Amino acid sequence: MPTVAITGLRTFVGQRLAERLRGEGEPEGFRVVGLDLRRPHRLEGRVRFQRVDLTDPAVPLRIAEILEKEGVEVVVHCAFRTFPTADVEADHELETIGTLHLLDACAAARIPRLVVASSTQVYGARPDQPAFLEEDHPLRGHPEAHQVRNLVEVEHILDAWQARHPDTAVTVLRRCWTVGPTVDEPITRYFARPVVPVVLGFDPRVQLIHEADCLRAFERAVREPHAGVFNVVGRGAVPLGVLLRRAGRRPLPIPGPLLRRFGELPARVSAGDPPDAFFDYLRYPFVADGSRAAAAFGEPVYTTQEAFASFVGSRRMRRYR
Amino acid sequence: MELFEELRVRLGTLGMREWSGEIDDFGLDLDALETARPAFDFLLDRWWRAGLLHASRVPEAGPALVVANRSGLLPWDGLMLAHALERLCPAAGRPRFLVADWLMALPFVHPAVVRYGGVRACPENTSRLLRAGARVIAFPEGQRGAAKVFRERYRLRRFGRGGVVRVALRAGVPLLPVGVVGAEEVHPVLFKITGPARSLGLPFLPVTPTFPWLGPFGALPLPSRWVIAFGEPLDLDGLSAEDAEDDLLVSRLTLELRRRIARLVDEGLKARSGVFA
Repeated sequence: MPTVAITGLRTFVGQRLAERLRGEGEPEGFRVVGLDLRRPHRLEGRVRFQRVDLTDPAVPLRIAEILEKEGVEVVVHCAFRTFPTADVEADHELETIGTLHLLDACAAARIPRLVVASSTQVYGARPDQPAFLEEDHPLRGHPEAHQVRNLVEVEHILDAWQARHPDTAVTVLRRCWTVGPTVDEPITRYFARPVVPVVLGFDPRVQLIHEADCLRAFERAVREPHAGVFNVVGRGAVPLGVLLRRAGRRPLPIPGPLLRRFGELPARVSAGDPPDAFFDYLRYPFVADGSRAAAAFGEPVYTTQEAFASFVGSRRMRRYR
Repeated sequence: MELFEELRVRLGTLGMREWSGEIDDFGLDLDALETARPAFDFLLDRWWRAGLLHASRVPEAGPALVVANRSGLLPWDGLMLAHALERLCPAAGRPRFLVADWLMALPFVHPAVVRYGGVRACPENTSRLLRAGARVIAFPEGQRGAAKVFRERYRLRRFGRGGVVRVALRAGVPLLPVGVVGAEEVHPVLFKITGPARSLGLPFLPVTPTFPWLGPFGALPLPSRWVIAFGEPLDLDGLSAEDAEDDLLVSRLTLELRRRIARLVDEGLKARSGVFA
């Protein structure tokens, strides 16, 4: 039975991927080693949990030991904050420095494959982005969104690291905003509102992926070798206003300058950053081209609109439960 | 109470569009286009009384890169050229027109432009559209073309860095030169104010005989007479995608393209009975 190690077991991707890979009694199931700070209660007994603090300077040695002892073949790195905290320094320590530590461990343990969960937000939402961003487009990020900044740095580090360690196949999966019945992330909380604040005068094309499509791509990236960068995105892009309206949501346009005063509005979305760090992603497009991922991991089942409909429907049902 | 409800709905839809039906991946709204078609017909036939010169030179179907002279701050020329081309050869589908970056950052303008087929001008978008079999209208003068003041009208600016020719060669589509006459008089810019415009995200603030004096009404396009002159497709036979790397060839083709468009503009000017007549 092959063994996979997952960092960030309590993130959406980490947890759900672990569940899928375990494959309950199926012969092709994986042995999952979980590396995280806290014990994941939902996965109790199903993963071999190892308490690891990625920010600890001595951690590379410890992780390397674990990886070698457990005979890990694939490392999945998703130790990125689901909800960025106001402590920008601490987030940087975990996300950027933590990745450096993990990479040191992977190099020491000669891990054959590494899968990293990134985001299409690293391209940056700008008025001058092409309609469909391809994987080799420069990562312009957002100057004020600290998590995006960290991810861009992580990707540059990975790039340089891959050049020095050609024996490890690095797979970077940049996923777009993920929605679905069970995801709980800043963007799902944002879209779950009955009235969704948007930027007055702007209506960018947005792109969503359904959680099932997203997880399937991650699973295939673990099961089969696919080195390189992939945009894991849903089919099609829909203007934000249409997306909301078709799903029965009401957009509330707020003038751009006023948004700065409404800073606390998306406080949970962009903790520690000025509101523009979040609202720029609702102002300008950052739509990625998913054809490379579709060829490697299969065509996504849901379109952007269908993914959103599924999400809205499930949230509506939740109220009656 | 009713008023309140009405107000709330109005506020809720401000700046957003009542979208429904088919929207393609670039944001073109086919339903909105259908609704706006009579308005576009009116603008083209009645308001600007556009005459088409050498319309038979336009290939019936297939993708093409249409190259025209740029004029006016708002992309009226792109919109109308797309409309005229679609009516001329319905088999080729609705052409898309490329729009400068700064316009894409403008609130309200940007969603409207995208809705009717505007696409940000960049090689990635152009090649993607051409690969998909669409016709694309490019304005290689770019912002320099839009920023002309009235006394510089119909004088072609530099044609970028040959990007249009490169894209056409790589995609293997014909280059179709077009001269648009009349769009320069739609908003005759007397002079430009640059200072306060920067803070609004505009490259400059145009001062026309009517704008900003008459407020938003001053931004209405003047009813100049238009002539759209189509040229023979530029001969790219025997050239392949590799030739796009040949800088000398590209610059020679770009010059030839510019020369042809300048000639078409002159032809259009001569064919026109009068600016507003």
